[in-house]
Amino acid sequence: MNIWFRQHRFALGAAFGQVRKAPGSFLFNVLVVAVALALPFAGVTLLDNVRPLSQELSVDPEISLFMKPDSSREQAQALDPKLRGILAGSHAKVSFVPREQALDNLRAKSGLSDVLQTLGDNPLPDSYVMKLEGFATNGADAARVDTIADAMRGLPGVDSVQVDSAWIKRLAALLNVLRLALLLLAVTLGVVVIAVVFNTIRLQVLTQREEIAVSKLLGATDNFIHRPFYYTGALLGLCAGAVALGAVALALRPLNTAIAEFARLYASEFQLTVLHPLGLAGLLAISAGLGLVGAMLSVQRHLARLH
Amino acid sequence: MIEFHSVSKKYSADALALQDVSLNIAKGELIFLAGPSGAGKSTLMKMVAAIERPTSGRVIVNGQDIGKLNKASVPFLRRNLGLIFQHQRLLNDRHILANVMLPLIVTSASKGQAEQRARAALDKVGMLDRANALPMELSGGEQQRVAIARAIVNRPQIILADEPTANLDRAAADRVLDALRAFHAVGVTCVISTHDEQVLESAARVIRLEHGHVVGSSVGGAA
Repeated sequence: MNIWFRQHRFALGAAFGQVRKAPGSFLFNVLVVAVALALPFAGVTLLDNVRPLSQELSVDPEISLFMKPDSSREQAQALDPKLRGILAGSHAKVSFVPREQALDNLRAKSGLSDVLQTLGDNPLPDSYVMKLEGFATNGADAARVDTIADAMRGLPGVDSVQVDSAWIKRLAALLNVLRLALLLLAVTLGVVVIAVVFNTIRLQVLTQREEIAVSKLLGATDNFIHRPFYYTGALLGLCAGAVALGAVALALRPLNTAIAEFARLYASEFQLTVLHPLGLAGLLAISAGLGLVGAMLSVQRHLARLH
Repeated sequence: MIEFHSVSKKYSADALALQDVSLNIAKGELIFLAGPSGAGKSTLMKMVAAIERPTSGRVIVNGQDIGKLNKASVPFLRRNLGLIFQHQRLLNDRHILANVMLPLIVTSASKGQAEQRARAALDKVGMLDRANALPMELSGGEQQRVAIARAIVNRPQIILADEPTANLDRAAADRVLDALRAFHAVGVTCVISTHDEQVLESAARVIRLEHGHVVGSSVGGAA
């Protein structure tokens, strides 16, 4: 174990030694890799912030049924078995929302309690909210939802029926597209990172070919020779990842100023925040991993040629 | 300790470096390989260090068949050899002490232990006072003595010196040979290639090569 630590300490020291020999070159490579990493990191941060919002929203179809303002509470409650009959065969959660509760909800969520107080009488009708489960976003299920809604419109005392899921589905679809686009962008830029590290290590191998050749003649194993290059690649990826995350964190400040103004229009305090520590550590590990992969590919290819 | 059994080496169809060479070098011997350039001396030495493999025949070093040695075992074979090259192959970006420490570093010796043994090796070849110099600051003879220190720092069983006195004046060449003889005197097997006839006059055993063939082997002179 002692020898294992000594070997890795030597390799790490040799990697830092290379950085010290050409700090400008290393810094330049870190910046190039950081630029490539910054875009996907920004995308991950954005998605991580938006994901809780999208999860709060239901993508299952939701039908809201509003009674006529002059219909009685008994008339409204009498609809319950009829609605369940229409929904028979579908998984659905039916909730009756009395007009008083609807007003309380409006007061709590809209921030318009002062305005609502001036109205005097409650203008809201009794209503039902029906959440349908197990529906896909395909055309056949959409048609089923429409048929159910039409059947409800014909019930006595019903003023209007709304199907509320369409825009939520569009948002979910958009997020899926964004997620896929981010994945493709990350893969593409991951290849760029590997290529940059590959070339950096190639140059180092060429610069040190005499040292490598002499070391082999003196009894150095392949692992002994390869290991400092692996550390250099991982170090390059790690430093670039840290720079990229720092750049994303800095970019959030002006973005949040603009977002705050926009969110205020919707009575929201939504702000973009940096990833949680585990997420940051994960991205740094991925950066170091990409550097390591680039170094391994380069070392395998170029040292094989030297041998 | 070193055995060649009908060894031939072909680099290409018309480049035959060694042809049907058989020889035996016992433990503790001091052998000089003589012959003109292109005779096959370097190829023979490279085979002992597993830098080259025989095209046919068998090379046995310390009981290991070089032709059958797998890639991972080669470094461990070389750790028992001390290699000295005509062009010393010192690393110019680090001082003499670091150059001599290298064979120990690659075997994962601690830095303190490596430095202590490297200083002792430099002391044996009379170069300790230049430990902090860069190779470029030394003369050819001094560089060759540093190369000897690097070769013996690992306490090898065999020293292979390929033309160690080429490009050196007589005084420097004598100092290099004296250093090698000193290690032979303590039981190290030494194989030295040269085309310097003056060196061969005092050799205990000489194997002469020409065009890849062994053309003569003599025993005598002073060791």
